[in-house]
Amino acid sequence: MNEERRRILEMLSTGKITTEEADRLLLALGSQQVSGSAATSSEPVVKAPPRYLRVMVEDHSDESNGGHTQVNIRVPMQLLRAGVRLAGLIPAQAQIRVNEALQEQGINFDLSHLKPENLEELVNQLSDLTVDVDDHDTKVRVFCE
Amino acid sequence: MIPLMLVLGFRTYKRRGFRLWIPLFLVWLLLLPLVLVLLPFAFLGLALMRVNPFRALLTGWQIFTGLKGTHIEVEDGNALVWIRIY
Repeated sequence: MNEERRRILEMLSTGKITTEEADRLLLALGSQQVSGSAATSSEPVVKAPPRYLRVMVEDHSDESNGGHTQVNIRVPMQLLRAGVRLAGLIPAQAQIRVNEALQEQGINFDLSHLKPENLEELVNQLSDLTVDVDDHDTKVRVFCE
Repeated sequence: MIPLMLVLGFRTYKRRGFRLWIPLFLVWLLLLPLVLVLLPFAFLGLALMRVNPFRALLTGWQIFTGLKGTHIEVEDGNALVWIRIY
């Protein structure tokens, strides 16, 4: 057992991290070792495309009333792809209104730029995406698997 | 592949709960005649909205098949509810 793996397991046993966090860390460690060994063998690593987008929310703000809220959502990438294609079907007039509404919310994004032909590139880039938002009571994690 | 099974689960803090398996393939079989009847009207409506009906139906089909693998789980400390689509 190497040092990193031992430290992760120690953090799990002392309760510093949850089992899911430990699982992710061990997976990340495993992939690092695989890529490291591949780098030494000078063979290109073909990364499998992500299949799911995971959104995990933990809210501890209501613990005084008996517990915390936890939301765990797994969305297939195929559904995201179809959703982007659906956005392409929105009529031009509606797209203008959506863009205006987005700009009112401070989001400078043009829906017409979201094209199915750019979709695969977007999905491939999502495999490296991990968003962690830690507030005092709330923790949000978005990642692909 | 279309979604074939939906599992709806509920569990309380005291481990009392249930798990409901809904065979979606039977639901699709029942809905198929209705879909076939409504399809011409859907084509007409989409054409009136100047949306390519073939592209719209293809996207609808992709959304339908993309539902497979969806998993939603909500826990509030007292109870856990989850939905899984297989």
